[in-house]
Amino acid sequence: MTGLIWKDLMVSKRSLKAYLGVMIFYAILTIIDVFNVAFVTAFISIMLIMLPIAAFSYDEQAKWDRYAMALPVGRNKVVGARYLFTLLIVLGALAFSLVVGVIVSVTGKGDLLEVLVSSLSTLAIGLLIADILLPLCYKMGPERARPYLYALVLLPVLGLFLANRMGVHIDTSWLDRLAQSSPAALLGLCALPLLAALGLMLVSYLISCRITAGKEY
Amino acid sequence: MTNCIEIKGLCKSYGDFALKNIDLTLPGGSILGLIGENGAGKTTTIKCILNLIRRDAGEITLLGYDNIREERLAKADVGLVLDECFFHDTLRAKDVGKILAPAYKNWDGALFRSYLDKFGLPEKKLIKEFSRGMKMKLSLSAALAHHPKLLILDEATAGLDPVVRDEILDEFLGFIQDEDHAILMSSHITSDLEKVADYIAYIHQGEVVLSDAKDNILDSYGRVGCTAAQLEAIDPHDVLRTRRGTFGCEALVRDRAAFARKYPMLMVERTTLEDIMLFVGKGETK
Repeated sequence: MTGLIWKDLMVSKRSLKAYLGVMIFYAILTIIDVFNVAFVTAFISIMLIMLPIAAFSYDEQAKWDRYAMALPVGRNKVVGARYLFTLLIVLGALAFSLVVGVIVSVTGKGDLLEVLVSSLSTLAIGLLIADILLPLCYKMGPERARPYLYALVLLPVLGLFLANRMGVHIDTSWLDRLAQSSPAALLGLCALPLLAALGLMLVSYLISCRITAGKEY
Repeated sequence: MTNCIEIKGLCKSYGDFALKNIDLTLPGGSILGLIGENGAGKTTTIKCILNLIRRDAGEITLLGYDNIREERLAKADVGLVLDECFFHDTLRAKDVGKILAPAYKNWDGALFRSYLDKFGLPEKKLIKEFSRGMKMKLSLSAALAHHPKLLILDEATAGLDPVVRDEILDEFLGFIQDEDHAILMSSHITSDLEKVADYIAYIHQGEVVLSDAKDNILDSYGRVGCTAAQLEAIDPHDVLRTRRGTFGCEALVRDRAAFARKYPMLMVERTTLEDIMLFVGKGETK
């Protein structure tokens, strides 16, 4: 399985390098106070979640699946390797966001709590998107699953925009009060969606295993 | 000695095409050549062996292990070279070793590198810059680097020039020197199989229409060249298939010597696997 994760890293190497360049660019803009740190961590998470989907496309191009399923590792491990790769990417995004956040807070350009809350939230969103998309990629292939990625990313934004235009106001002042009174409680609260996304990842993995078990290569 | 591959009553239907009751046995120390037209069922058979597709009926064992119930054990000592190079263009030969090493308990990195050297494959060159011959040699290096006992090759020599093919066939012959080793090799290039195969199985429209030792086939089958009138005079039981052309007729016979004794006026000559395929594929029964 480690070989398969290594394969995903190797075939994504070029994209990873390009993304790293973009991440550093945005990190610098954040440190010099052009962008808000919360925006940048969210942006980076969404950008990196494209990598596992792209890995499906690279595999499809090389017709790798037929070879991988013929290896003596079993279909579940092939699927498991892709999930671990996804987890690795999301953790990488979180680590990067934290580093940027710490720099921003140390230099007095931002608040560490805000960075942590933002990172945990975007990590949960990133994982949730992967939870939904990975089984879709196994079921219908990366090309046909891609529109669902766009829908998952754009529809909530569109929903919030429309709600705002319609005058629906979501009261988030209690979050500010919680941040003032008990920062640890706020962090714990923000970790809940992440734990839920991790739990869903197991469900998603089992669904993907079921899909590949019935698939012909 | 355990047979390296045993297939009994394999059936697989796709609706418009079906594999029907395939029985094949590959003893250790030998090469079984699988021949047949495009779409005859060779790759479907190999996919069933590798459990890439679900079979409708039958049993398959690889090196004594059931290919579904004991899939990992069955595949652990199998080397694969399929009809294409499945390694991503952006990888290098050395990456392939790192990717496959954890998948095989017996992976031998030094052996892999020695095959790369032997085949003249640069470790650091991108696979997209490899020629088709180099890609197939890379696939073969990967297939051999975990000391397999069984090689499964699906059109592995297709599209290669005669020099590269000869080089690869030599490697197969070297591999087979060990009595525990065996090769299942599907190929359209029947001349390759005539060089290296010990057994031939001919799949036609999803059925095994011929399965025997290669020497038995080439020593006994014969091709008769005659006129239409002479063909009419031959007992239908003495010929397997016939072909009628503008300039004459041809017939395929199972027992060349017996035919020559019975019809001394007709010329019967040795046949090739390609002839047999053409007779079965394009000919007709008398």
